[in-house]
Amino acid sequence: MTRVAAIAKNTLREVARERVFLVLVLFGLGLAGVSLVLAPLALGEGSKVVLDFGLAGASALSTLVVIVLGSSLLHKELDRRTIYAVMAKPIRRSEFLFGKYAGLWIGAAALLATMIALTAVLLLLSGGAFPWTVGGALLLSLAELMIVTGVVVFFSSFTTPLLTAFFTAATLLAGHFAEDLLYFGTHGASRLLAALTQGAYWLLPHLEVFNARGLVVHGVAVGQDRLLFAAAYAALYGGALLAAAAAVFERRDFK
Amino acid sequence: MTAGLPTPLRAAFPFAAAAALLAGSALLYAASWSRIGPAPGEELLYFPSGVFVRQASLGFETAAADAAWLRAIQYYGEHRLTDQKFQRIDHVMAVVTDLDPAFESAYVFGAFVLAQELRRPEEGLALLTKGRHANPESWRLAFETGFLHYVCRHDYAAASSCFVQASRLPGHPDYVERFAAFASQRSGNRDLAVLLWKRVLATGNRYMQEVAKRELARLEAPEAL
Repeated sequence: MTRVAAIAKNTLREVARERVFLVLVLFGLGLAGVSLVLAPLALGEGSKVVLDFGLAGASALSTLVVIVLGSSLLHKELDRRTIYAVMAKPIRRSEFLFGKYAGLWIGAAALLATMIALTAVLLLLSGGAFPWTVGGALLLSLAELMIVTGVVVFFSSFTTPLLTAFFTAATLLAGHFAEDLLYFGTHGASRLLAALTQGAYWLLPHLEVFNARGLVVHGVAVGQDRLLFAAAYAALYGGALLAAAAAVFERRDFK
Repeated sequence: MTAGLPTPLRAAFPFAAAAALLAGSALLYAASWSRIGPAPGEELLYFPSGVFVRQASLGFETAAADAAWLRAIQYYGEHRLTDQKFQRIDHVMAVVTDLDPAFESAYVFGAFVLAQELRRPEEGLALLTKGRHANPESWRLAFETGFLHYVCRHDYAAASSCFVQASRLPGHPDYVERFAAFASQRSGNRDLAVLLWKRVLATGNRYMQEVAKRELARLEAPEAL
């Protein structure tokens, strides 16, 4: 456990070194722009617009950070050959991978939480009430990041950074269309196609589980059962991805 | 090309070139887009359907709804100041409400514009009905439906029924009950119409307030008495 924590700490340092705070600056400026320019034009719906764009921006940017940083995380270790020094120590490859996963997730989670906190503070400063319901959206987004990070780590365990970014983006995109895939696959398609689409449906991450922004912006709190379900789903799906990534990484030839 | 220039100027040259090219693109846009771009009234012709945008928004439906809402207001505001033609407002409001079915202001404002400004009350009511199906617990949508029935369609029985329904829904303010009682007693009464418009003046957005002022002036004119 301490070995995983050490790798995670190091990964977190590496994430910070990539000047991720610039994303926060970009987000803050964008949100301030929305608040100053667009909110007054929204005919009384300014708070909703700020909250909507804040939550959407925080989720999209943190996902982007995970994809961009995560896709090269393992590759860099191999490229610089630092992985040999790590592997010479009494640490299993799977522990190294879990540490990378944890460090990346913690970095992205901190970024996401800061962006959502910025949104809430901006709403408070602009005279609105503190939107307590964003807590539920934050927890769901953190769980979603567990899956996104898992997808990145899985693909990066066996392929190049560019392909990792591409496959991750494609998986997340397909995850949003999972329901449609199932619908089209089971309506009028051949048995084989129906079986294939059903297989893909269960294989893809169901990211809609984590999307409660539509509730939160209208002041509806996310229910406890939904939060528990999302946490369990993220733990199981993220765990499956990590297990698969570890299995592949254990067999990978570093030469 | 910059070989003869002093070093500071040579270093600044790429930035100056980038700034000049950017300014050129802005000038070209400002000079020509109004001639080449969509003609007035056509700007929302190719606005995609809500179902499509919902799919394309990848889980960010409510943010997409806000973007469409801002576009709708811009469209309405521009045409209100110029040719009074905002025929596509129904489409853009349908997109907004497809993306965010709980966006009550979009139903209310869209129905208001359709019924009061474009004289298409049935379409306004259809938008509110869509909203009430998606938000059966909303007193506001029930109340606004009553408002349209009363003011635009002069269907006082339907209006009274809607006000009563609104008064039974959770979270309604006190005035809803007063309207419910008043409407059942005084169907077709001018005073009630004045009160309803005064309510729009107090609670509506700035465009709705302008219309309310106009209607109040009309209702309170000596010939209306």
